[in-house]
Amino acid sequence: MNTTCLSYYAIIIAIILGHVPTQVMSDDKTSDQEIQFFETSIRPLLLKHCTDCHGADSQESDLRLDSLSGMLNGGKAGPALLPGKPEGSLIVTAVSYRDNDLKMPPDEKLSKQEIADLTRWVQMGAPHPDADLETASRRPTQHIDIAEGRKHWAFRPVKKPEVPSQGNNPVDAFISRSQQLQGILPLGPADKRTLIRRATFDLIGLPPTIEEIENFVNDNSADAFEKVVDRLLDSPHYGERQARHWLDIARYADSNGLDENVAHGNAWRYRDYVVESLNQDKPYSEFLREQLAGDLLESGDDYELRNVRLIATGYLVLGPKVLAEVDGNKMEMDIVDEQLDTIGRGLMGLTLGCARCHDHKFDPIGNDDYYGLAGIFKSTRAMETFEKVARWNENPIPTTADIAKEEQHTAIISAKKEEISTLIASASDELKPPTGETLPADVEKRFPEETQTQLKLLREELKTLESNAPVMPTAMGVKEGTIADTAIHLRGSHLTLGNVVPRRFPRVLAGDQQPEISDNRSGRLEFANWLTDGDHPLTARVMVNRIWNWHFGTGLVPTVDNFGLQGTPPTHPELLDWLANRFIEEGWSVKAMHRQIMLSDAYQRSSGFDSQNAENDPGNLTYWKFNIRRLKAESLRDAMLAVSGTLDPELGGNLLEVKNRDYLFNHTSQDKSTYNDIRRRSLYLPVIRNHLYDLFQLFDYTDASVLNGKRETSTIAPQALLLMNSELITDLTTSMAQDLLRQHTSNEDRIEELYLRSYGRAPDEQEVERVVQFLSQFEKLTATNDEAEAHAWQALCQAIVSSSEFLYIR
Amino acid sequence: MPISRRQMLQRSSAGFGALALASLLTEEACGKTVSHLPHHTPKAKRVIFLFMKGGPSGVDTFDYKPQLQNADHKPYPFEKPRVQFAPTGELLASPWKFKPYGESGIPVSELFPHVAQCVDDLCILNSVHGTNPAHGGAALKLHTGSDTFVRPSMGSWINYGLGTENNNLPGFITICPTLAHGGTKNWGSAFLPAENAGTPLGVASQSSEQAQVKYIQNANLTREAQRLQLNLTQSLNRDLLDSTGPHAELEARIQSFELAFRMQMEMPAALDLAAESQTTHQLYGIDESVTADYGRQCLMARRFVERGVRFVQITHSNTEVQWDQHGNLRKGHTQNAAEVDKPIAGLLTDLKSRGLLDDTLVLWGGEFGRTPTCQGAGHDGRDHNPEGFTMWLAGGGVKSGIRYGATDDYGYYAVENKVHIHDLHATLLHLLGIDHKRLTYRHAGRDFRLTDVAGHVAHEIIA
Repeated sequence: MNTTCLSYYAIIIAIILGHVPTQVMSDDKTSDQEIQFFETSIRPLLLKHCTDCHGADSQESDLRLDSLSGMLNGGKAGPALLPGKPEGSLIVTAVSYRDNDLKMPPDEKLSKQEIADLTRWVQMGAPHPDADLETASRRPTQHIDIAEGRKHWAFRPVKKPEVPSQGNNPVDAFISRSQQLQGILPLGPADKRTLIRRATFDLIGLPPTIEEIENFVNDNSADAFEKVVDRLLDSPHYGERQARHWLDIARYADSNGLDENVAHGNAWRYRDYVVESLNQDKPYSEFLREQLAGDLLESGDDYELRNVRLIATGYLVLGPKVLAEVDGNKMEMDIVDEQLDTIGRGLMGLTLGCARCHDHKFDPIGNDDYYGLAGIFKSTRAMETFEKVARWNENPIPTTADIAKEEQHTAIISAKKEEISTLIASASDELKPPTGETLPADVEKRFPEETQTQLKLLREELKTLESNAPVMPTAMGVKEGTIADTAIHLRGSHLTLGNVVPRRFPRVLAGDQQPEISDNRSGRLEFANWLTDGDHPLTARVMVNRIWNWHFGTGLVPTVDNFGLQGTPPTHPELLDWLANRFIEEGWSVKAMHRQIMLSDAYQRSSGFDSQNAENDPGNLTYWKFNIRRLKAESLRDAMLAVSGTLDPELGGNLLEVKNRDYLFNHTSQDKSTYNDIRRRSLYLPVIRNHLYDLFQLFDYTDASVLNGKRETSTIAPQALLLMNSELITDLTTSMAQDLLRQHTSNEDRIEELYLRSYGRAPDEQEVERVVQFLSQFEKLTATNDEAEAHAWQALCQAIVSSSEFLYIR
Repeated sequence: MPISRRQMLQRSSAGFGALALASLLTEEACGKTVSHLPHHTPKAKRVIFLFMKGGPSGVDTFDYKPQLQNADHKPYPFEKPRVQFAPTGELLASPWKFKPYGESGIPVSELFPHVAQCVDDLCILNSVHGTNPAHGGAALKLHTGSDTFVRPSMGSWINYGLGTENNNLPGFITICPTLAHGGTKNWGSAFLPAENAGTPLGVASQSSEQAQVKYIQNANLTREAQRLQLNLTQSLNRDLLDSTGPHAELEARIQSFELAFRMQMEMPAALDLAAESQTTHQLYGIDESVTADYGRQCLMARRFVERGVRFVQITHSNTEVQWDQHGNLRKGHTQNAAEVDKPIAGLLTDLKSRGLLDDTLVLWGGEFGRTPTCQGAGHDGRDHNPEGFTMWLAGGGVKSGIRYGATDDYGYYAVENKVHIHDLHATLLHLLGIDHKRLTYRHAGRDFRLTDVAGHVAHEIIA
């Protein structure tokens, strides 16, 4: 490489970094002629069209175009001018009216000649008489300090803190220390009935049965609770509950949402993959590698394994997409952005999406870091086509049986074809044409009528066979696409491209020297490996914090999806690191982490009240009590199904009745998503974006379009209306009342059973008395009704399952 | 030391409920950054949005283009947009005649003879523009400010900023909304607290006669029986609260049941159109089959704003995309306009005579307009046009009897005093006493606004 070339690169790099050596504009190549061109064609144009708003008197968007420095420094949108690069200069973009969000001058487009002149001027390197004066007046472009950024706690390596004092569970050792420091005396353990209800909802999302409760209450062994935890971890319902946590993070949905709400007919395969992976306690590192790069993992001849891994990559395709976006390039980058946002916040607690249009305002993530990653995902094929209405990619996932079926079908078709040609051949022979003559084209018409009929029949059979080919199952997922590095998109727009950056990982985490990703690989597998190599400072921390949050309703880092500078720092940094280390040491076992946490005193604590502690630590940051919290929407419904005796416990499968890629809602607003008669667990109810199931919507279910690691808990009147008046609750409590009336003859027994099922405890005397009184008053009100008793019991059951004790975990 | 129920009740005394709810609201908002609202004296207190689904044509309604009328079948002389929904052909002059109305003399086409009578109350924006040429994207852009991300709808922002004036009714109601093209996202609260989401009544495919809040009535219980049941539920709820000590959420739950019970009474009363006189029914066209459906929606809107609902949206959409005349423009637009013209004029007249128009802002328009160039067979259709279209405002502190902004000579691009969707949002908020740059919500590490990083208030249209 010669020196000229070197200095050229140096300049380019300097431009990226915002240090433009101004000599480049004023070197001796700038001829008088070029300056003359500026003075006669460009300066008048700027004065006439631009400087009224971007000049001495007014600086809209902080931009001045009446000086070279003003143009180079730019305004709020970034530098207006990159000398020599019209395609990267916002001033050219603006006047060419290519970008709908940036059209200047706003009222009238410049003439074609003016646009051409301005473009040419930028191409020439923006010759300007002031070029020599500019060095002094350039202000450095905002530029992130990566080295400084690495000091942020979450970007530093996970430490191996020493466990403070002895104790059964290191979790308690760390927690006790923080309590002691603040003079907090924690509450004692919760009573056994409360505890088993808490643990059962936490792990399998259902209430404990009366039998399970009694077994636990009567088990006086020291490891009684441990046995409960292990039983729950082994339950197939464990995966169903925990999957829902992950699906929130994977923004899982059975429809696209956004503008064209078409069915994700195969999304359920991904959902079942998550359930099974969690039930198997697949190492979290493997779980991530499969979802990010399952198509690239070596599966050998193992079809089943290969299919599972292809299904896992559905993770990258499940996002909402503007499928009718007219501009295909924009759609592609929007999809990449959606993936990066999901991966960033979901797996690393990093708001990567913020760096799409500019350097991250808070975190040490550059615009170039973003496009280094974007290159990886742009090189990945997530879409079959970007033509509206666009189609996402699906990979075939035939089982060996499917393949055999297809081969068999192909064989039958070949046989049929063979039969036809044999028939034609023999019939043609019969006609015996004179030697040397070829048969005429319409030879078949000369066949005997009988042969013609037979031929027609055979052809119809062939047609039927061909149109009934066995459908090969497919799954939403990705494969490698056209591998290429991506250019920085200035202001996030594909119409203003800056410099191309190599595919790589964020510098703040992966360092300045990174191995090159080879030309024939997107870099997804490399990315997945880097995330899960055990040295990544965020992967394990983010996940153990999530598990903690699932159990306590708050994370050690309360902002579970944001570990950046705008996130909240950990309340117990050492505990977080200890857990993260432990997680990796235990082979990334999620189940072991549940166990670790649940066997702590902190988890088993009472949820009672203490005025002294409430004063010292009102937010319960030291975990002096267990936080009361409402059941999540799906557990609420599942619990009602369970106590009413109507729950259908079948695992897995698809309940979406709309065909893959068909519209859930077309223009007619016809609702094809009602589930009132379904008694399967909530996990299996199709998640329809833009039209969530009412009960879910009202009880703060995830939005399903954007990942959400921590659902809010709102308390609003429409929830009460649903509990009071919906058909679903009426139906369920009717079943429940019938069941109670059938099973027992005395009201006392019925009431006891009702309390045990719903609250996990027997009623006290006063409670029984209150219920009895209610029943008699209610029956009196509906005395004319033949089924007064049944109605009263239904109303009672409804009151019980609508009450806070049923809806809350204590 | 654990606290007893009695001690707690004594300590909390009568004001506990309100305190708990207040603290719950701030707690839940977690990072709520609404500074004291309003930011300045509001001109409008509430909004009615008349949403014309599908995109009504400007050049056939409120954007008279004499030059277009003389250029039928001629080519459009300027460049068409880089991104178009579909290709279009030559110019199509409006098939409808325009004439000036009122003291302002603003021309209105014969499609809107009744609204034309109110033209002196209108502030017609001829230069609105958006970015997205497809229904879904454009509808989301109009309702939420973003066609790319999930964002709160404008009604949710307004409800969040100002709250409701009636504690027994939601602050944001949307009547017969369409479930397509963004669906619930168009009235959703996204990351804002859930109580700010729009409460839908019915859907677009239903008659407005059936429009009702879900679960507002119990099919089996008399009010008396339900009260008895609710008393039991509430005593159970109080039991748990007593055993846990002060707990804002559990307290709020008790209140939410009472509010729900009151809402069950208030909502049917608000929707009881029979309580209105025959003259009023006639004014809104409820007595005529063509106008009955939208007339009812307009009257419901008036009854809701009268009762303190902050933002009411009423959607004009049939089982198709209503105003989306890629073909059959003459038939389609004639039919559509006939359905809404009289009801809208009735609403404006009624609001005015009740003194409500002064502080009620009425907004009319679709997700985009239509091209002046023609599409489809028979020289009788127009494509989507987000480049320059017409919406209008009335009441609520805007100048009346004016046209603001302009499209080019043929009505394709907005060229003068352009009003981007973000500008429209900024202006709406401004009229409600809100600085659009200061109505923010902290989410995922940054402060979000309805207007993102854009938006200029169109001060020239404010009275």
